[in-house]
Amino acid sequence: MASAANANLNAVRETMDVLLEISMLLNTGLDMESLSICVRLCEQGINPEALSAVIKELRKASETLKVSENCTN
Amino acid sequence: SSSITDLLNALCSCSLSGVSWKRRALGGVSKESFHRALKKRAYGALLSKLFQDGTKGPASRQSATANTPARNKVLMMCFDLRVAGCREEAERLEELLEKLPEGESSGLKEVDAVLDLLVCLAGCAPPPFTSF
Repeated sequence: MASAANANLNAVRETMDVLLEISMLLNTGLDMESLSICVRLCEQGINPEALSAVIKELRKASETLKVSENCTN
Repeated sequence: SSSITDLLNALCSCSLSGVSWKRRALGGVSKESFHRALKKRAYGALLSKLFQDGTKGPASRQSATANTPARNKVLMMCFDLRVAGCREEAERLEELLEKLPEGESSGLKEVDAVLDLLVCLAGCAPPPFTSF
């Protein structure tokens, strides 16, 4: 039982490593933490296209904040 | 496993990493209020996309690549990379795609959905900084 769980954990880890490298090659801007969250959201049934819209919206908002921070420096 | 709301919260927090809040608090923008605003925008984007999908007819929903399997979309990107002269990247991407386990052997339920997400986000980060 425990070895099956370990095997599954190893499989997830390997898959995540491959997905992260693909993500980097495609220049998506996702780090491991945000990729893991996205994977879990996809597993919960969130549509990938809708999720990409959410990520782009969040980036726009946080970029605005960072730009205003640079302007005040 | 976390709920969708918890995961969206975490995604909002991730997108705020690197912002300094000490000086912002002095300017009247608190981390909490900005986090709330981010969540509002995240749900807005998610729901508008869902409603858009619901209102489109079957004909308009079918774009050229809508029914293309995620792996084929990545292969199409490999082709684009080759055309753009990025042969090494294209080869590495093909290698990774072959390495990526399918179905249950990946340990994940939705590998193809994640690939679809990566395709949707492809190229949307600023190019890496190169020093001269």
